[in-house]
Amino acid sequence: MIRKLPRRSVVFVGGGLTAALAARQMKNSGIDVLVLERGGDLAGSAAATLPNQRDELRWGVHNSLVQNWANETYTLRHAVGEHALPVRRMEAFLPGEGMGGAANHWNGQTWRWAEYDPALRTRLESRYGKAAIPRDMTVQDWGIGYAEMEPYHDLFERLFGIAGQAGNIGGQIVEGGNPFEAPRTRDFPQKPLEMLESGRIFQAAAQSLGYKPFPLPAANSPRAYTNPDGAKLAPCQYCGHCERFFCEANAKASPAVLLYPMLQKQRDFEIRLHSQVTGIDYDRHAKRVTGVRFIDLQTAQEWEQPADVVVLSGFTMTNTRLLLASGIGRPYDPKSGKGVVGKNFCYQVMSSVPVFFKDRWINPFMASGASQMVVDEFNGDNFDHAGLGFFGGGYIYSNVTNGRPINSRLLPAGTPRWGSAWKQANADWYPHAFNVAVHGSNYPHRENHLDLDPTYRDAYGMPLLRMTFNFRENDHRMSEYVTNKAAGIARAMGATTVGTPQPRRGDFDARLYQTTHTTGGTIMGAEPATSVVSPHLQHWDAQNLFVVGASVYTHNAGYNPTGPLAALALRLGDDLVRYARQPRML
Amino acid sequence: MSNKDNAPPARRIFLSRVGGASGAALALPALFGGLAPAPAGAQGAAAGAVAPQPASYLSLGPQEAACVEALVDAMCPADALTPGGVDCGLHVFIDRQLAGAWGRGDRLYRQGPWQPGKPQHGYQSPLTPEDHFKAGIAALRRETQKRTGKPIEQLDAARIDTLLQEVAADQWDDPRFALGAWFNDAFYPLFVQACFADPMYGGNRDKVFWRSVGFPGLPALHARNVVEFRGRAFPGAASPQSIDDFS
Repeated sequence: MIRKLPRRSVVFVGGGLTAALAARQMKNSGIDVLVLERGGDLAGSAAATLPNQRDELRWGVHNSLVQNWANETYTLRHAVGEHALPVRRMEAFLPGEGMGGAANHWNGQTWRWAEYDPALRTRLESRYGKAAIPRDMTVQDWGIGYAEMEPYHDLFERLFGIAGQAGNIGGQIVEGGNPFEAPRTRDFPQKPLEMLESGRIFQAAAQSLGYKPFPLPAANSPRAYTNPDGAKLAPCQYCGHCERFFCEANAKASPAVLLYPMLQKQRDFEIRLHSQVTGIDYDRHAKRVTGVRFIDLQTAQEWEQPADVVVLSGFTMTNTRLLLASGIGRPYDPKSGKGVVGKNFCYQVMSSVPVFFKDRWINPFMASGASQMVVDEFNGDNFDHAGLGFFGGGYIYSNVTNGRPINSRLLPAGTPRWGSAWKQANADWYPHAFNVAVHGSNYPHRENHLDLDPTYRDAYGMPLLRMTFNFRENDHRMSEYVTNKAAGIARAMGATTVGTPQPRRGDFDARLYQTTHTTGGTIMGAEPATSVVSPHLQHWDAQNLFVVGASVYTHNAGYNPTGPLAALALRLGDDLVRYARQPRML
Repeated sequence: MSNKDNAPPARRIFLSRVGGASGAALALPALFGGLAPAPAGAQGAAAGAVAPQPASYLSLGPQEAACVEALVDAMCPADALTPGGVDCGLHVFIDRQLAGAWGRGDRLYRQGPWQPGKPQHGYQSPLTPEDHFKAGIAALRRETQKRTGKPIEQLDAARIDTLLQEVAADQWDDPRFALGAWFNDAFYPLFVQACFADPMYGGNRDKVFWRSVGFPGLPALHARNVVEFRGRAFPGAASPQSIDDFS
């Protein structure tokens, strides 16, 4: 039988990156904060300590840090009218669990998006004309500009010790950085990681073609670092066990290392682990939420947690599902185009070109999660799309993050898949190959959306979230074009062999990993009719409900989504303090 | 493989074959201790001394085991790079995975209703991975017997290699069982993992596959190496260390 807890001021649903950043801004405000997290604390666990951290099978193949699919997965159909089935073992993206969430097992690639990204529709219309944007491509402006986000980007970079080379400081282009980057007020807090051999090769080839390569901004600390809160990072060991792994060296910036320990020392902060939120209590007449319900997974006790303010700070899928399951807001209907919750669901469009070097040692096992060299010439709207037949693009980079031998062995096309020839090819090429990769955008399509599955439920009885998603013509054309540019760089490398370019083709395949960058579902915007939350992330239909994370993005750019969502989370923290002092639509 | 007659493969009940040095004392991994690699075993004088085999199968029955051993020996023949598949422990890895959490459906969404999906939906069978694996082994044995007149474990490695290529190309599929998808999506990944996972899982015995490609393994503390050996051969790759070496 459900029991009721004492009222709390601000309750966060999901103990990952965004809750920790927002709570950090609320420190010393006297506002009581409770974070509910379904997972546990990984510090000191097998995942976080040598020697077991270096176990590719356990963490890299069986994905033991990732959401337990037995409890909750997502159903998939490629189009409305198809029957959705549960992805019983999801490989495509890897949501986290536990204090810190997916930001404990990320690669550390940290971007500011392009200056025009928050106002993408305005940008595309003004450059190409209204008629140029396909009717199916539901790009929208965010209702907020980069200038408002800039100070929060700067703060996040300092909190997480981001290592990089600035390309644009106050409008001045700086050599060695990204000439396309949005203007920043100052440089990164740390100089870049060491360049790998693959980075050197990439840099030389890119420069020979007139491009401007730069180091990928990294949350893997190159050296000992102390952040503004006094939290510390140790130097990265380039161990090649980054994405999917918890950093045992405390070198990968994460909420578990930099934020939660600091927060747990605060008087007004509490994180309650093993707490699975199953619904938000909503008074639709008053247009207010009154609290949340959760199950204590240790005791099986269900609790009603009253709250003055509720913040959804979970993964993209979690935020969207909770709104839908709790009946808050108008669900999106792709047939009519009406409604908003579940709309603009996006992912990432990745591709690659393998390169092989008989006489150069790539040593992929010595790498960090973000130690790549990048060019941005073919990302977003950084290049003229007139006449190309698509929008968007991606960054192109020397993709070496690890050399874990089960999954990271590149072999030339035509190599047998077993036998002595296979073994010999592995011996010949393992330390001598890498991928030139494209990290491509995925712009929204009117049919790509999220809703509740009518058939399947999770372990707690809640309906699973259903993905109606596929790659569309825009994605395939973009991928062909930018992969071709990547192939051009590959061919300028002096490689022994350049493999066949592999642009993204065909249907979305849940068996193929392509980043954990799902976005949308609870989009932000200036107009209630076309968004779920306001530019201050406040729910249009429940003033005391906020939503933060990549679920608020109206599109997914050709960049990793972590940077802007971190900036938005810090800004939300400031907004929550303002709201608590004077509740109103901000 | 001397057992060419029709007797049931009783000898397969025990995993008695140890490659390289023979009769090595059972060396249990130290559960406690510092980070220094464990000392070499008493019989370790021979080059490539390998850890001894555990005594029994935990999942596979005798005919299943005979089939798996034949497959891994065919897919990993003894050559200059590694011993044969059984001598590398590949069959042990597979058996332990089937008997363990993964084989029994850990982290797999197993609620109904059940329907065949598109390939992009991934695994949709109500069977656990262990049972699904065994269904495939049974189908492969049946089909091999039908097509060749012999049990698969009595065919020579070259013949098995050829038939696996046909299987992998979906040429042995029938309406009741897609052997091609089973081989490519269930058997083959286990084979690769058996070769390249940490040896503590039973395969990759003595880190032989890591050594063959130049993966140094643990401790993977490369802050200096990434500068000192940028663009150069890394000496540590010649003597890889695994988790047991640091336990």
